[in-house]
Amino acid sequence: MSAPAIRIKDLKKNFGASEIIRGVDLDIRRGERHAIIGPNGAGKSTLFHLISARLPITSGAIELKGENVVGLKPFEINRKGLSRSFQITNIFHNLSVFENLRCAVLWSLGYRYSFWQRLASLKDARLRAEQVMEDIGLDKRRDTPAGILSYAEQRALEIGITIASGADVILLDEPTAGMSHSETDDAVELIRRVSEGKTLVMVEHDMGVVFGLADRISVLVYGQIIATDTPAAIRCNAAVQEAYLGTSPHLGNEHD
Amino acid sequence: MSPAILNRGRLAVWGGCLALALALPLVLKSGFIISLLCQIGIMAVFSLSYNMLLGQTGLLSFGHAVYYGLGAFATMHLLNAIGKGGGPLTTALLPLAGGLAGMVAGVVLGYVTTRKAGTTFAMITLGIGELVAACSLMFPAVFGGEGGVSGNRVVGKEAFLGFTWGPQVEMYGLIVLWAFACTVAMFALTQTPLGRMANAVRDNPERAEFVGYDTERVRFLMVILSGFFAGIAGGLSALNYEIVTAETLNAHTSGIVLLIAFVGGIGFFYGPIIGAILVTVMQIVIGGMTHAWLLYFGLFFLFMVLVAPGGIASLIAVQRNLWQAGLLGRMLPHYLAVTPPVLVLLTGLVGLIELGYALLSGDAGVGAGDTATRVLGMQLHLGAPGPWLTALAITGIGLILTRWIGGRLGVAWNATLATLYGDKA
Repeated sequence: MSAPAIRIKDLKKNFGASEIIRGVDLDIRRGERHAIIGPNGAGKSTLFHLISARLPITSGAIELKGENVVGLKPFEINRKGLSRSFQITNIFHNLSVFENLRCAVLWSLGYRYSFWQRLASLKDARLRAEQVMEDIGLDKRRDTPAGILSYAEQRALEIGITIASGADVILLDEPTAGMSHSETDDAVELIRRVSEGKTLVMVEHDMGVVFGLADRISVLVYGQIIATDTPAAIRCNAAVQEAYLGTSPHLGNEHD
Repeated sequence: MSPAILNRGRLAVWGGCLALALALPLVLKSGFIISLLCQIGIMAVFSLSYNMLLGQTGLLSFGHAVYYGLGAFATMHLLNAIGKGGGPLTTALLPLAGGLAGMVAGVVLGYVTTRKAGTTFAMITLGIGELVAACSLMFPAVFGGEGGVSGNRVVGKEAFLGFTWGPQVEMYGLIVLWAFACTVAMFALTQTPLGRMANAVRDNPERAEFVGYDTERVRFLMVILSGFFAGIAGGLSALNYEIVTAETLNAHTSGIVLLIAFVGGIGFFYGPIIGAILVTVMQIVIGGMTHAWLLYFGLFFLFMVLVAPGGIASLIAVQRNLWQAGLLGRMLPHYLAVTPPVLVLLTGLVGLIELGYALLSGDAGVGAGDTATRVLGMQLHLGAPGPWLTALAITGIGLILTRWIGGRLGVAWNATLATLYGDKA
């Protein structure tokens, strides 16, 4: 068995005196869909920021497919095949949907900083961007500036940009936050489709989404992982119920 | 976006512009106009290069004249060094040396400036601009001190294809060719992976990093390339004026290019060209009529920032959208209706400004009393209340009428825009 997609060892992150991540150990297996849940302020988004190098770590180790990635810059980690989305939509507002997606595929197709090739002649970049545009259901909005899309469309574009490069490890930060029920259902279908054959890690509050999608779930509470297991086992885990839901036994029905 | 650079419509536009630019001297034979056109061509290249940073990469630079000025000095020194050994062909190619000098400056200075974007970048460029400007006065051997460095663009004994570049109209032809080539190249750059990623870095540097791009590298490359084109513009200015002074690389020149790009419209590729035409014409034409031209320019700039922050190009783009939607006809009567009161208002304002300027600048000689002063072609007594009250009255009437009719235009404008964008959504 090859190295796990992501291996985190004794990871810590302090903001000044306050410890946000307090010694996290976690293995994300290749090809699994892994959800990270936990109450507000548990450090879920921070954990994502550390893995993707948006924030520097305080101590510990992070390996991506067996390779140490601590100290690398975000673009270097991205080039190693890890791509992420953001909780707050993070797109290129003045560019069209198509241009957003084309920007997201250029590096992975090897065009780097080229200023001697015409974009219009790069057929593979166009086809890949169009393919993703279709996958996320925005092909009708091809030339619309991303800034004036509806919220749900922007969230779909956010996922599209994340997966477009073909990265095999994907981090989604609350992909369905702020969506209506029907929009959430569409988003779950979309995530299921685009994460096929890839490693997916997601932070999510919507338990319907989590238990519908995840192969395994980790529960993060106050900067520590208190359990990592299958959805069924997590549902019955007494410590999780205690820490995450107080005494409420309704884990699984909650729709945020 | 545009599928190809060389599609037929675009080819026609480019070709038409080149033909028009080359044909202009056949119609407008006055030396004054030719000089004006030369300056427009140079400033168009300079401000387009500036907009590669401001409009396309989102980098507000206060020191862009450094690349322009260094390109100009490099060209001038090379011209003088080649001296009689050269010929018209080498002279014609000299702006390339200016471009290379600008590019080298871009590598050296950009390495420092592009570490950060936003306010930090703006502040560093301001500092470096001042630094280079200060150096230019400290090393008179290189920068010629107060007098600058001058040269003669006519070198060698033989003409190249009949050209010596001596007559201004020949210089104009050379500027047109260089400006055209640079404009095509800068436009082509916007259609490449680097050009598009510059837009991405402008819109959202964080996301650009998370799709695999080093935003520092993107900014750095854009500064280098922008420095190249600014250097070419500087080289053209060296050949055109046959003198380069320290002013070419100081903060005033950096400020002018910012204003040109902004007034023209930084959100559009052709915006800076419009800005270059407009500002140069204002500078030369209004500057020839009144010493207060900078004041007028300042007011105009203020007006643009407040009313049309997207620049002239954005105004044109909106009119085109209205026209395509068949809505322009709705607005035209309002445009026509608002023109006379605006003209009245402008007349009054110009009167007040000129009277004030004549009084304060000391041009008046005695300044007050019985002496008549020439203001706007009239002999007026600045000490008497008559001229002032007249100008004030015209301004007041203009203001009231403009507000009244302009208010109706505003209502119609909002309604029309609502229809335009409402239909689209």
